[in-house]
Amino acid sequence: MFCSANNPASRRYIIRSVISAGLVILFAVFAAVSFHLWHLHGAPAYLVAILPALPILGALVATGIYLKEEKDEFQRNLLVQSLLGGIGGTLALTTIWGYLEDFTKTPRMDLISVYAWFWIFVGVSYGVVRRRYR
Amino acid sequence: MKNRLKVLRAERNWSQADLAQKLEVSRQSVNAVETGKFDPSLPLAFKLARLFETTIEEIFSDEA
Repeated sequence: MFCSANNPASRRYIIRSVISAGLVILFAVFAAVSFHLWHLHGAPAYLVAILPALPILGALVATGIYLKEEKDEFQRNLLVQSLLGGIGGTLALTTIWGYLEDFTKTPRMDLISVYAWFWIFVGVSYGVVRRRYR
Repeated sequence: MKNRLKVLRAERNWSQADLAQKLEVSRQSVNAVETGKFDPSLPLAFKLARLFETTIEEIFSDEA
């Protein structure tokens, strides 16, 4: 999405992202099955619950590594602007939603969805930034 | 920032893709620099100058 597979840095980023996404699904299924079968509690429950979050953190690290490895400064610039848009959009949404939760009957936002919202905003920002340079 | 990249490229009969390949960047990057929408870093400007066997000042000018 944010880079073509034309250079080694992009290829490595895509591979790392696909592995991270695969591990998220694998660990999420493992966690759900574990809690269902063994009714975990205590330290094992915390460890298994955290498991699906680890590859998500890995995906963020992969993005950082890509920014370090990408030699094309224009492509780096596009991604940095998109990430700033993602951070800004996520902060705006969660802040507004927080006040709505406090003062109205707006349902609680699932914190896990914040990560998904971040990447949605990054994607939208990327489209806007790319248009600017067309 | 104004630049003479399009002229220099045309003199050598290079496409944007050719120049991008020589600079090891994407074609979009060349286009963004050429159209003045993206100012290159000093290392990239030096790389362009070396490639066209000229000086940075001959390629870029700081006129608005």
